[in-house]
Amino acid sequence: MRAIVKHGIGVFTPQGFLDGNSAESLLGIEDVEAAKNLKVDMVLVSLKRVVFFNKNGLDVFLKMFSKIREVNPILVGFSDYDTTKYNAINKFYPDDLGFSLFKTQEIAELFTSSFKNKHKTVLLYNEDKSQRSAMAIELHDSGHNPIITQSKEEFLKKKKSESSYDVVLEESYLGQMGQKVATRVTGNAIIYTVSSFLDAEIGNTFNIAYHNNSLNVGFRLFIFDMFKVISMNIHAINFFSRLASAAAEYNATICFVGLSFDKTPDSFKNTLEDSGIMFFDQMNEILQDKELLKELGASSAGNVKNKRVLNKVVVTELPQFIDATVATIEMMTNSTAVKDAAKVHEINVKDKGDKIASSIGFYGDIDGMVILVFPKNIAKKACELLIGEATDDKELILDALAELVNIVGGKVKSLLFDQSISVEITLPRTYENVDNLLEITQNRKGVQVDLSFDNDKFLFFLTR
Amino acid sequence: MISKEKIEHYVEKIPPTPKALKDTLTQLSVGELTKAAKIAESDLALKSYLKNLVNKPIYGFRNEVSDISQIFGILGVSGSQQTVYNYMTTLLSPAKWLMFKLNSSSFHELQARLSKRWKDILTHLDINNKDIESSIALLPASIIIAEALFSEKINDVNLLRSTKDMDLNTILYRLNGIDLFDICEEIAIKWEMPPEIADIVQASSGLKPSESKEINTLAKWMHLLLFYELSQPVFIKAGLNDFIDFQVDFVADIYEEFMTIMDKQ
Repeated sequence: MRAIVKHGIGVFTPQGFLDGNSAESLLGIEDVEAAKNLKVDMVLVSLKRVVFFNKNGLDVFLKMFSKIREVNPILVGFSDYDTTKYNAINKFYPDDLGFSLFKTQEIAELFTSSFKNKHKTVLLYNEDKSQRSAMAIELHDSGHNPIITQSKEEFLKKKKSESSYDVVLEESYLGQMGQKVATRVTGNAIIYTVSSFLDAEIGNTFNIAYHNNSLNVGFRLFIFDMFKVISMNIHAINFFSRLASAAAEYNATICFVGLSFDKTPDSFKNTLEDSGIMFFDQMNEILQDKELLKELGASSAGNVKNKRVLNKVVVTELPQFIDATVATIEMMTNSTAVKDAAKVHEINVKDKGDKIASSIGFYGDIDGMVILVFPKNIAKKACELLIGEATDDKELILDALAELVNIVGGKVKSLLFDQSISVEITLPRTYENVDNLLEITQNRKGVQVDLSFDNDKFLFFLTR
Repeated sequence: MISKEKIEHYVEKIPPTPKALKDTLTQLSVGELTKAAKIAESDLALKSYLKNLVNKPIYGFRNEVSDISQIFGILGVSGSQQTVYNYMTTLLSPAKWLMFKLNSSSFHELQARLSKRWKDILTHLDINNKDIESSIALLPASIIIAEALFSEKINDVNLLRSTKDMDLNTILYRLNGIDLFDICEEIAIKWEMPPEIADIVQASSGLKPSESKEINTLAKWMHLLLFYELSQPVFIKAGLNDFIDFQVDFVADIYEEFMTIMDKQ
């Protein structure tokens, strides 16, 4: 059994009866190895389709959690349970859970760095005071607004007006923390929150894959919230210098906010400034200043100076990309595609209205980005298999579109692998209108292929 | 991925009930066990299947049972009819399984386990109806259909399921508006099975409640029994644990009672 990754969480969903024997059969050695290599913020075992479990069954997953955390100190635990299951788990492990419990995946997502996950108002209750505080701090660092209730009575009273909150957080538990750097997205900027003394460990706790992915999908401003940092050593300085150099290739900016140099040598600041990192005292100095945001690249990626151009290697593999896209959409719609035209130029979207788009990056032996522009009707049709019904809910369609482009990415990866070309794919990004997409692709040349699916026009664009 | 035409073609290809089986079932329907056994003897494949099935450990016979009239005598009219239907279901199974890691032996094992435990459940519920007892025989047809339709598209299915938590039944339904259980029903019609059999199996998906309260109750038990068996290591390793979605809420109210029956075994 393999985990399905969505919004930065890898989720295992066993079914039926979970005892020691069945759990051992569900989780092979290869499955555990695959889980160890997942690039996620969290690995969960969903209990939503489990009718019975015992301690032996859960222990098998706990062993996997330990193995994951040996190589990747992320959050691990169980999710999607009712009160009976929650009580049973607490009864099995009365002293120390050592793993996390999230009543729903929506609650779990609050503690991840998903692009989608922004500024939620969370009603929070936990019987344990230290848990309440830990959750509140984590939620705050991830950019949410926790409303903490101090007693069950207060919680139940406030819960009555459930519509006042985006998420109600109860019957959950934060086990061993991820040690990952808390991440949140605000507008077109990404904010990382770091704390205490920074040393070589920052290289392990910082999610570099997520950061690179953010660069690939067009984010250009990265802010480090440094208010809680006491000091840093030369290893951390080197890490940030390397990060700044890599960002420069994309013309991205890295800012430090609230870093006090009381216990850090001034020479460190000079080194960081030399590598291009900018310093600010308060977050609002950046976030409230639209002009500055524009200058720093947070409102548009159009000011990229070092434009990355398509190279021969990527273009040679164009048929693989087209095949992957066509095969996926044909698979999802049971329809047939016709290729209309292929040209090298900047992306040219005729009739921008009523279109949505998605992109996915790939890196490894070759790198680049695939962009798909759909008329909303084809997107809806292509996503019907994933959503299960016709819908006009834009968020739902965009979410399914991200899954669809993820499937395209997976297919590209597998077709290229057959050609002995190894690539990894980034997280998908969706754009609710063409203008948002054009901010990312402005002035970039690429190969544009116009396709028709049952006479509906559809655009494929491959760029770097 | 899987078109309506492919499904229609699959259903068309299903052979009608062979004459020997039809005659055996006719005799069983009027309670003529001896005459039914005599006809069954003439079908060597059926004979071999019956011997193989009832001598599986789950049936608990100390000595090997090899004579067909003896087998029918032990199973009774209801059990014999159910076993003949089980055999008919195996006629659909592929020579080589690709999607699921099964073979004829492990598939027969699943049939035997389902049949025996279904009988235990019906005894517990105090139901003595040969068509209801036979309904369990059609359930594994859903696995065979999934194998037949999806085995050519294993890579596509795996890619899709690596992104989205979606069972094969849902994929098929969302693509064509027909699910595995609808196809089971078409097979039941083609094989002239009593309509009750298809009704129970349809409702046992946990997604399509019947108008009959009795059928819904039986469907719950069947759904939970299926997942009880699909949680056994051999069937998990065969890849069957998640071929359809387990509907926990559907069976929540019978779970405790169900476990008392299973614990007795």
